Amino acid sequence: MKSVFFTIVFKELKSFMRSAALVAVVLYSFTIDIYVAGEGIDIEPRNVAVGYVDNSSGGISKKILSNLHSPEFVAPVQFLSQKELSNAIYNKEIMVGLVFDNDFEKLYREKKNTQLNVLLDATSASQGFTTLMYLQSILFSFEDIQIPLDLKIHKLFNQNSDNKSFMALSELLSLITMLVVILTAIVFVKEKEDGTWDIMLLMPIDAKLTILAKTLSQVIIVMGGVILSLGFVIFNIFDTPMNGSFWSFIFLTFLYTFSSAGIGLFVAAIAKDVMQVAQFSIVIMIPLIFLSGAWTPIYTMYPFFQVLSFFSPLRYYIEGSESIFYRGTSFVDLYPYYFGVVILGFILYIIGFKKIGRLF
Amino acid sequence: MADFYPVDALHVSGVSVGYKDKIAISDVSFEAKSGEIIGFIGADGAGKSSLMQAIAGIVRFSGEISYLQHKYHSPKEAEKIKIHTGFMPQGIGLVLYDTLTVDEHLRFFADLRDLKKDAAFLAYKKQLLHMSGLSAFAERQAMNLSGGMMQKLSLICALLHRPKLLILDEPTTGVDPLSRLELWEILRNIAKEEGTIILVSTAYMQEASKMDRVMLFHNSKVIASGTSAELIDSIRPYVYEKSLADNDENSISFDKVIYSLDSLNLSLHEPTLEGLFFVNALKERKKIANFAIKSREDDEVIPEVVMECHGVSKKFGAFVANEKIDMQLKKGEILGLLGANGAGKTTFIKMLLGLYSIDEGKLTLLGQSIKSGKDRQELKSKIGYVSQHFALYKDMSVKENLLYFASMHRIEKKTALSRIALYAKELGFEEYLGSFANELPLGVNQRFSIAAALLHEPLVLFLDEPTSGVDTLARAQFWQILQKLKEVWGISILITTHYMSEAQFCDRVVLLKNGQKVADDTVSNLYERFPKAKDFEDIFLEFYKEKA
Amino acid sequence: MKNFVRFSVIKAFVLKELTELVRTKLIIMVYMMPSMVTILFGYGIAMDVTHSRISIIDNDNSKYSSELISKFSHSKYFDVTLTHESEAQALEKIKKAQSDIILIIPSSFEKNLLKGEKSELGVFIDAAFANRASTMQNYVQGVIQSAATTSAPMMTLNTRTLFNQAMRDEDAIVPGLIGLVLLVAPAILTALLIVKEKEKGTIFNFYASPIGKLEFLIAKLLPVLLLHSVNIFILFIWATYLFDVPFRGSFFLYWLSSEIYILISLSIGMLISIIAKRQIVAVVLTVIITILPAFLYSGMLMPISSMQGASWMEAHIFPVMYYNHILYDCFLIGQGFDSSKIVLYLFILVGYVIALLGLGALFLKKEMR
Repeated sequence: MKSVFFTIVFKELKSFMRSAALVAVVLYSFTIDIYVAGEGIDIEPRNVAVGYVDNSSGGISKKILSNLHSPEFVAPVQFLSQKELSNAIYNKEIMVGLVFDNDFEKLYREKKNTQLNVLLDATSASQGFTTLMYLQSILFSFEDIQIPLDLKIHKLFNQNSDNKSFMALSELLSLITMLVVILTAIVFVKEKEDGTWDIMLLMPIDAKLTILAKTLSQVIIVMGGVILSLGFVIFNIFDTPMNGSFWSFIFLTFLYTFSSAGIGLFVAAIAKDVMQVAQFSIVIMIPLIFLSGAWTPIYTMYPFFQVLSFFSPLRYYIEGSESIFYRGTSFVDLYPYYFGVVILGFILYIIGFKKIGRLF
Repeated sequence: MADFYPVDALHVSGVSVGYKDKIAISDVSFEAKSGEIIGFIGADGAGKSSLMQAIAGIVRFSGEISYLQHKYHSPKEAEKIKIHTGFMPQGIGLVLYDTLTVDEHLRFFADLRDLKKDAAFLAYKKQLLHMSGLSAFAERQAMNLSGGMMQKLSLICALLHRPKLLILDEPTTGVDPLSRLELWEILRNIAKEEGTIILVSTAYMQEASKMDRVMLFHNSKVIASGTSAELIDSIRPYVYEKSLADNDENSISFDKVIYSLDSLNLSLHEPTLEGLFFVNALKERKKIANFAIKSREDDEVIPEVVMECHGVSKKFGAFVANEKIDMQLKKGEILGLLGANGAGKTTFIKMLLGLYSIDEGKLTLLGQSIKSGKDRQELKSKIGYVSQHFALYKDMSVKENLLYFASMHRIEKKTALSRIALYAKELGFEEYLGSFANELPLGVNQRFSIAAALLHEPLVLFLDEPTSGVDTLARAQFWQILQKLKEVWGISILITTHYMSEAQFCDRVVLLKNGQKVADDTVSNLYERFPKAKDFEDIFLEFYKEKA
Repeated sequence: MKNFVRFSVIKAFVLKELTELVRTKLIIMVYMMPSMVTILFGYGIAMDVTHSRISIIDNDNSKYSSELISKFSHSKYFDVTLTHESEAQALEKIKKAQSDIILIIPSSFEKNLLKGEKSELGVFIDAAFANRASTMQNYVQGVIQSAATTSAPMMTLNTRTLFNQAMRDEDAIVPGLIGLVLLVAPAILTALLIVKEKEKGTIFNFYASPIGKLEFLIAKLLPVLLLHSVNIFILFIWATYLFDVPFRGSFFLYWLSSEIYILISLSIGMLISIIAKRQIVAVVLTVIITILPAFLYSGMLMPISSMQGASWMEAHIFPVMYYNHILYDCFLIGQGFDSSKIVLYLFILVGYVIALLGLGALFLKKEMR
């Protein structure tokens, strides 16, 4: 019994290794793709391009401008007229435009109400907003208001506010979902396309054993990719902290991949060819990833989606993984995530299993 | 030189094709005149397909080909002649689109060739549909056609634009005798009336007599060419009547004939084109080894009646594939299941195997009444099956494939390896053991499928066209193996084939027509019933002409 | 002499592809996927951080402290929980991801303020997601600053937010989603259309017939182009009616640039399928090389003007940036053809099409390999 099971597993692994292109693509996903995701995205304002038109006679405006420095801002560019400045903003060369009016300096010196005109490209709303906050606090510092409060801010878990490691980790978790679903579905659909399906059915092997073995083989491939990715990218390049237990993450990942493979089984059952696998998996996975909070925090979603998100196993997986990596939550306190992954995963796997089992 | 030939002739000079480090065909030269039908015959993997692909201009080659005053040396230069050529690659239904209907295929290929849909075209199209027997299936999607119907559809698609140079790679593999006759009728008409040059490869030697010239391929070379009669004459001195007291070291005996290069003290037998392969094997010092089969390792008790079914029917929508079929397969019997393409043979076998559900009727397999999938589970290890289509894992080598199947049947590795070695030798695929399954010719692939079906020493074998596209020598070997299996293991075999000459190796044949059983008798009884029949093909045709 | 491109040949393929797409029900996917992505993400992605869960430990229980707390309660950015836990217990809550921020008001808060002495507020922020943490930090500082500055500030910002006055996330994101969807969906479909024929064997019909390479490419790309062109309009309707994104520019420009952009997507898919031998490789490769750049360089997450070095280069290499620039102009700005930059970008997009199709024609071989 055992030997047959592992024969199937090894056969699928060998099959996978034989396809150099597929191996290359999976390797790429687990390394370069994650690296790019980590390096590339930065939602905080950095290097914001500022332009200004200075009609005042200079002193205060220069001081304000000198406060706009890196990393948040690049050196402000001077424009001769407001029209030129707006054009630059229209062309997306400048994101924030400051216009100092004629009487700016005068009003300020007379301690009258002074206005600084700001033109803001708010296409990326959140960055626009944060940039305004920066400007506001710069202006505060110009007024001699003594704030009688000191804030002592502690950033927990990720002291140097390293956003890269977080994005890379999120990408890895989404990638695991995507690959395990597609790979598992393909293993079965390939048999349909190559005409080996009938032969597989005629083997004196319990269908359950075949399905489990094939699933496991793909889970192993993905787990291998995860380890690679952790070693080379997550820990090595991004120095992601591991405040919790490494093995508890691996264990959670294993449970999660196995259950997501169930979605792959479901896709394999309804798809006739690889083309359909591609399309079905995308249609099923996008809501799943979306509802997990990987892209947007769950509590900012529409209430309806918040409820739905309870049904995404990826949600529990992502929250669990974040807790392990950053918060260092102890194994015992991870039970909600384990429960979520196991229960939803079990349901998904059984649905997929039943669905494809009917074809046997 | 070339000037002596008319402009519409095809010249092939010094053409070689190689893949990576392997030479597929080397240094072939020949000419073909307008209206000539040239047959390519030879063992599987001898280079027929590669030469065809070179001429069709879809593979790189060295040497020169010229046709209609165009000389070409590469696929790119061949572009200019493609308007005049029709090509049908090897493989069942390869060029068809699963979800398109027969009619849509014809429309697609007509548009592809930019044909005017005038009255003449429509008449021609109707004629092709009629001749291929596909008129009734015009609205059926390709994926629901039987293997033979797919072949016929592919062929008429290649004929639609009335090509001047027609290149057909085993167009009749898997096609039933009746349709083959019709197809040859079409080909000969085209050659005669339109002066089309037809290059055609085939595994059916009877078809060679319909060709103007035959080229025999062997080990990447053309080793003989001439008319079918000339080639037959060339082996005349080596073909003897079989006698009981023979056992010459340097001879091959098959069916009722002995082939020997030494002169034997026996009367000569009328040679056939098939003989060419045997004589060639002798010249190569190859032999059909005596299949040394050991008695089975387990002592399973085989019931007297292995398979029995009553009133079995299968419908696909409105289409009745099998209607109330009764059949019995006895212990140690080879039962031939014959019938035209689409007569319901494959459907029937798939029902026996449980790949299709049985709509109606009763089935008993190996003494067990089959009602649900569970009843089959333990029977699976006692059944061997070879499907009509290629069915091995493409990304594993032949040996890995076979080892995989063996372990699925829980055969120990040592035993498995020795059995694989045995079948590889007997079925003649030793040299391919390390190759990947998808790199090999159809005929070679079928042999692995057979080996895969035998590995677990089944009690009953269901073989769906196991010999389609397999070369003569390998088929001879194959039938010897089946006979031995029957004698030594006492197993039963249900086999479908389109080689009518193979019917005589069966103990009994069942004929299906339009999903119904029309005959169920021994071969000799059938010969008695149709005394005028020259061979079994005539008998087959009788049944199909009867009511049509 | 044969025509350069024959209509009937192309018609044959287009009809065939459409029939196949309908019969295999893939047509549903062609229309379902883009709309689904747009609607889900359009409703869902919020770049803003609202409803951060803040636990306030008030050790002072004074008038001043409750005033400060009410400032937090009235902000849409915070969901306040008042607790009397110890600092350690509260930290444990962050550890379990039950809270995002802890604010600790010291016991001498009111007393110090009245004396005019400084008092120190303790703030703990879950910084696992660094970006979110920084935003939350800013909000906390903002609330506290405004609470502290009782007198009206002298210098104020007179802000005119351009293009997206209400600073709605939808306005910022939905056009970007169109750029994402129209890059990914047509590419996947095309990638498979050619590899499928290779895997199945039907590619022989192309090899062995006199169809020109150009004809074949057009014939393969046209059906996908036609089908996805409809999506240009469907997505427009979702954006303007469902999400109320304003449309200030030229519809003709929107349509034209979208068609060109779909062509680029098709060409990418085609290139992949010419190189790939197996469908699975084509699928995974397409997904990976289109989705991520489409997100990164859309300008949705990070303005291109803020990019530097390698990422600036990459942004300019991928076509997404150019299309999105035009797209955002059509929806939010409305300069249209008056802007020389937009005209330039339009030409750059056309350049992509020509280059990619040219590469495709170069790599496509009418022979077996």
